[in-house]
Amino acid sequence: MANMRDSDTSLWLHNKLGTSNDSWTGGSICSQLNAEVLRNIKDCFPDLQTQVKLKLLLSFFHIPRRNIDEWRCELEQIVDVAVSDSDLWVSMLAEALKTFPATGSLNTEIADLDEVRPIFTNLVNDLRHLVKKQSEQVMLPMECHYLNKAALVSVVGQQPSSTKHFTLKKSPKSAILRSDLLQKASDAASNLKKS
Amino acid sequence: IKLISDAGFQGEITSISTAAQQLEVFSRVLKTSISSFLTNPEDWQKTTKECAKMVCHGQHTYVYAQVIIHVLARENKGGSSMKRLSQEITKCAQKNRNDVTPITMALNGAAAYPQACQALTAMLSKNTLNPADISVLFRNYSGNDPPPIDLVRTPQFLELLVDSLFKPAVKLNPDHKPKYIYLLAYAASVCEVPAKKGQKRTWNKDELKSTIQAIETVHNICNINKGSSELIADLKTLYQSLRFSVVAVGVVRWVEYTVTDSSYFKLQTEHCPVHLALLDEVVSCHTLLHTQVLDLLIRLFESKQDELEILVQLEMRKMVLDRMVNLLCSGCVVPVVKYIKTCWQKGDTDISLIRYFVTEVLEAIGPPYSPEFVNLFMPMVENDEITGTMRGDGENDPVSEFIVYCKANYTTV
Repeated sequence: MANMRDSDTSLWLHNKLGTSNDSWTGGSICSQLNAEVLRNIKDCFPDLQTQVKLKLLLSFFHIPRRNIDEWRCELEQIVDVAVSDSDLWVSMLAEALKTFPATGSLNTEIADLDEVRPIFTNLVNDLRHLVKKQSEQVMLPMECHYLNKAALVSVVGQQPSSTKHFTLKKSPKSAILRSDLLQKASDAASNLKKS
Repeated sequence: IKLISDAGFQGEITSISTAAQQLEVFSRVLKTSISSFLTNPEDWQKTTKECAKMVCHGQHTYVYAQVIIHVLARENKGGSSMKRLSQEITKCAQKNRNDVTPITMALNGAAAYPQACQALTAMLSKNTLNPADISVLFRNYSGNDPPPIDLVRTPQFLELLVDSLFKPAVKLNPDHKPKYIYLLAYAASVCEVPAKKGQKRTWNKDELKSTIQAIETVHNICNINKGSSELIADLKTLYQSLRFSVVAVGVVRWVEYTVTDSSYFKLQTEHCPVHLALLDEVVSCHTLLHTQVLDLLIRLFESKQDELEILVQLEMRKMVLDRMVNLLCSGCVVPVVKYIKTCWQKGDTDISLIRYFVTEVLEAIGPPYSPEFVNLFMPMVENDEITGTMRGDGENDPVSEFIVYCKANYTTV
């Protein structure tokens, strides 16, 4: 693999990644990567099909951390080439992946690219406007269901009280059931003590 | 496609695969979808589902949308809705059997804590917990400089912990069990104060010990397969521990596994089994769990109980309706009434059950009513098939009283 020419590398990538339209990739390619292969990929990258470029970049997520550290330079070089790709999807994805080889985290400050930046920034700004208008927190993050009161307040603040739809004039049957059950429970407990 | 999009007709682009081909077009469609999620909070389940389906079309659309949503989730006001949207999208991708864990971990800041990150990634990718990785997390979170609490608050991880502690008959290695309990209690109870200028992060762990105890106690009760009557003796302890949300989540899960067993109701002798009475307590203590309990009650209400006699089946469904009335009286009003209304409109529910619900509600509630409630509830109260037999000659029965009061006080009816 290490001695492959550019054309071989791109054919190999095409066969591995370019045969389906589904962009979800399981990262099966990762086991065949090494520094040399990555350098070849960098050289042939501009001529790959868009689909193959995207899937190759997306497969980075599946590379084990120790390999990412080892191949950091090679991966960064591919990302550098990809950032200036003519397809906006490729350059946007590369921009998001820019910090990934070094830090393991995605870059969320998409600010460097003249072509991609306005699309990203406009979208974020327009939506931010709507997000700020959210008057009440209708939907809380899923983990909130698990939190003790104090922890919940520390995460999302005091919750607004809900709308009152009626006055309760009589407690429902479940209240009677509750006291019946508690009575039975203390009977059971005292029986246990006696025995 | 770009021309259609440029002209502003995002709604016309119905095929996601077409829209996803160009970043610009996809961004506009995404904007329409997230806007619709933000501006129609009452329809959040539908808008979330649609948005998630679109975002999960490809891995590139997924990464792009999650980065955008992640940036928006940082907003102090409204940010938590975006975080929830992001979590729902993650769940949708996982349902489609895509491993998105590495993407989640590349966005949540875990990378700065390699040990915890690796342990969590291994378990979340496989969707199963294992003692070795749990031990790594336990060591990290019981140390002096624990990783951010958000990592153990990853919803999938919390679900896995609750499952392993509250699913009936799951046997955890006793040497490792305290670590599972510790991590769950830590996530539920610790308040983390983020680092400020010149100051380190701090933690308030005041409730950690009591939360650990409550989880442990209830886990021990739930883990042994006790019958309804044997549970009675533990009821006080259960009620006390249910004050902790995390225990309530666990108990709901345990009740769900227990009562959805096909033979469960066949073996019951009590009118209302203790398991379901526990749901009443959860509902009274925890508003945030209302939706979850309602979902479970709906499943039970609609479940086939072919092995029960018809009359016993009706009694069982009435008992489930009692739980729904309790839910309504505890503040979960609109979803419960909407559900019963759909049952009535679809025409596949025995009308005596709808009548039972309306009767029970009218007995428990009184004015003033909210216009929204009146609008929702009135059609069922006015319907002759439902309430005809309940009306007396004068206006002294609850049905007539409700109608007369509402006609006099609400113009929208």
